[in-house]
Amino acid sequence: MDYLSDLWATNRSTVAFAMVNSLFALSTYVVLAAGFLSFSTVVFAAVGGFVGAQLVVKGVGLPFVFGAAAGGGLLISLLVAAVFLRLNSHWMALASLALVLITRVVTLNAPALTGGVNGLGVPLALPMDWLTGVLVLTVLAFYALHHSWFGVASRVLREDPSVAACMGVDLRQIQLIAFGISGIVGGIGGAAYAMLLQFISPDTFFLGIAFTMIAATVLGGSYHWFGPVVGAVVYTALPIVMQAFLPHLLQEVANGVVLLLIMIFLPRGLIDPRAVRLRRAAPAAAGVMKIRA
Amino acid sequence: MELFASQLLNGLALGSLCGLFGIGFGLVFATLGILNAAQGCYASWAAIIGLAAAEKMGAPFPLIMLAGMGGAAAVAVAVDQLGFQPLRTRGADMLGALITSIAFWMILDSLAGFATGQQSLSFPSTSYPGQMLLTEPVPLPAMQLITIAVLVAVAVGMHLLMTRSSVGSAIRAVGWNPVAAALGGVNSRSIILLTAALSGAISGLAGTLGGVLTSNVSFTLGQGLLLKGFAAVVVGGYSDVRGTAIAGVILGILEVFVGQYISTALRDAFTYSLLLVFLLVKPQGLFGKGSLVRA
Amino acid sequence: MTPILELDRATKAFGGVTAVDALSFVAPRGQVTGLMGPNGAGKTTVINLISGLLHVDSGRIALNGTDVSAQKPHHIGALGLARTYQNVRLISGLTALEQVVAGSFLKRDTSMLASFLHTPAARHRMRAIREKALHLLDRVGMAHSADVLAETLSYGEQRRVEIARALGADPVLLLLDEPTAGMNPAESAEIGRLTHKLRDEGLSILMVEHNMKLVVDFCDSVIVMNFGRLIARGAPTECIRDPHVQEAYFGKQRHDADGLRAVG
Repeated sequence: MDYLSDLWATNRSTVAFAMVNSLFALSTYVVLAAGFLSFSTVVFAAVGGFVGAQLVVKGVGLPFVFGAAAGGGLLISLLVAAVFLRLNSHWMALASLALVLITRVVTLNAPALTGGVNGLGVPLALPMDWLTGVLVLTVLAFYALHHSWFGVASRVLREDPSVAACMGVDLRQIQLIAFGISGIVGGIGGAAYAMLLQFISPDTFFLGIAFTMIAATVLGGSYHWFGPVVGAVVYTALPIVMQAFLPHLLQEVANGVVLLLIMIFLPRGLIDPRAVRLRRAAPAAAGVMKIRA
Repeated sequence: MELFASQLLNGLALGSLCGLFGIGFGLVFATLGILNAAQGCYASWAAIIGLAAAEKMGAPFPLIMLAGMGGAAAVAVAVDQLGFQPLRTRGADMLGALITSIAFWMILDSLAGFATGQQSLSFPSTSYPGQMLLTEPVPLPAMQLITIAVLVAVAVGMHLLMTRSSVGSAIRAVGWNPVAAALGGVNSRSIILLTAALSGAISGLAGTLGGVLTSNVSFTLGQGLLLKGFAAVVVGGYSDVRGTAIAGVILGILEVFVGQYISTALRDAFTYSLLLVFLLVKPQGLFGKGSLVRA
Repeated sequence: MTPILELDRATKAFGGVTAVDALSFVAPRGQVTGLMGPNGAGKTTVINLISGLLHVDSGRIALNGTDVSAQKPHHIGALGLARTYQNVRLISGLTALEQVVAGSFLKRDTSMLASFLHTPAARHRMRAIREKALHLLDRVGMAHSADVLAETLSYGEQRRVEIARALGADPVLLLLDEPTAGMNPAESAEIGRLTHKLRDEGLSILMVEHNMKLVVDFCDSVIVMNFGRLIARGAPTECIRDPHVQEAYFGKQRHDADGLRAVG
């Protein structure tokens, strides 16, 4: 019996981590889908995480915790966008990575707000139904975005910014909205993460999580909102599955190899609407050929 | 005063390592468009291979350096051909290359962990020139001078190679537009191999020197160099070797002095604040020529 | 009446090369104006200057009476300019219909928030835009492929979808950059007829074209440039006979007859 309840405990936390990682991946995706490779979700998550943790410590209710985390994330994302949107895509990647490094230093040196090196304990475990609710709402929002004019504009912008501009798309506006959404979702994800770990420190939001977010997003596919969710689930579950087959020491190597294989054989990720459409088109085209022959 | 001078030397030597590593890192970024997270592993592996050459074969110092460089170049070429080449043939963007490099980072770092038994190793004191060149007025360890000299030599050499030689213009041409370069008679495959090897060798040189200088041969060596080298590339401007070298040295000196005279805790804060200031005020770096925007 | 498009000594240099050199011309309203010139004459640079992807070093460009020399592309688009590209630039992953819907971005008449919330008005408007897009695909003869992934269509078909996409913005001036490149004569003639129909409905068109027969058959007037400068303008048949044009296209030694044979 103990074994069974242990198993449930492990899996429950895996599911919870997959859900939080989905939030992070969606936050990364929305900027990526507007044409920018950016690591700044880590920064938004850090802001949301520390704001959320402080409020939980003060005994504020969950709706306000998430609201404040979203607001904090939004604020910092608009700041980042205002400063960084002048840069081209290559620079954005470098600059946002630098920002992740800077964020860690800043959080380390502001112990009054962040607990500094010792971090902050978060005296509230995130209820599963809250996490589920937040994720469902986020996914619904992404579904709505996908079918909105923002979705249309960002798909064109990502493939060909010049064409988008000549169509009348204000590139800066779309990118600013993308960053804002990324900030809100990243901030909420950060707060959820803090409550899930029940502890955060400057090292919580550092390079490891930055690369996890990007890898999960690309693994799942960055051409549809469903991709990041799938990617986050697979990326979270992968180490657990590996555990069953491989000695601990080889796990990291195996994770790398799996990621590598996916990049080589499924470069557009697991979820690729274009591939689905191409596959659907192929038999139809073959049929037409036959009729003509 | 003596402390000041010797700390200055320390900073110069550490900064030279960052600059040197950054030149290798910036080379693939500027020409092949790859933000290579695995670059730090090249440095770690160079140090491990150099250490093996020293311990197993008793190789003399220059050979240790060559072994480290050669090993890192081989790893870099292998990573490029296994990981990046399939993406290139498919015309994938830099995102794919970044993820691939993260995968290699995970693989190479854990393998490096095995190789050193999860410890930090150091070079035997007989394997490198450990003597002081001077003791008065300032103690001057030979290794520090060698490191600084290597940075100067590599920076000058790479700058001349990139701006004055036909190989350099071929590298830039392939980076800018491989199809046009091929039409112009450049064999882009061999230029890409050369660029990867060169970048690996330079970062490997930084790794081997760093392994000796800091007595730390482990995967953390490469991670440290990656962060500092990255800062040097951003501050210096990624398309210019001189900028990276100078920025690396400045960052090294700044770090040592902040650590010595202000506080160790604030050391990184200074480095990254400088990074932020440069990103905001001069995002194209010390010698950058503005951002590249195409119609 | 102000001309739909006016270039006044527009100049653009890249490094040391002056791609467009003090170029002045006027495209009259409600006409098909051809822009001709041998390869490297600077035609595409002119198109990019007009659409705001590039900006003039000096001189002035006015669209519908408004100075757009320093405007951003999306502002120029909002003023009523739409364009196609020399090498078709459709968006990968979208169906033909979705391309045209995207092209109607300026006519969405819906705020970003309303569109996100899918308000009844926003949904109603989106339905109308889809219907209009379908109609536009029908006009270019591509309605049967509305739900086909555009990148799987033939080159000529993709060009037609691209024209429908440009029409989605209800432009006042349409720039066609070599609309018949890679098409057979029958397909080219169809494009020519389409431009005539659009013109008769009041649209002004500026068309970069290599195909001299098409220029003669379908352009109301033509502007010929070489090395970034204007070398001739006027009625198509006259322009083609112009010795400067003959020289630019066929070299000095050729006689008019050779040139005309090439036209035929």
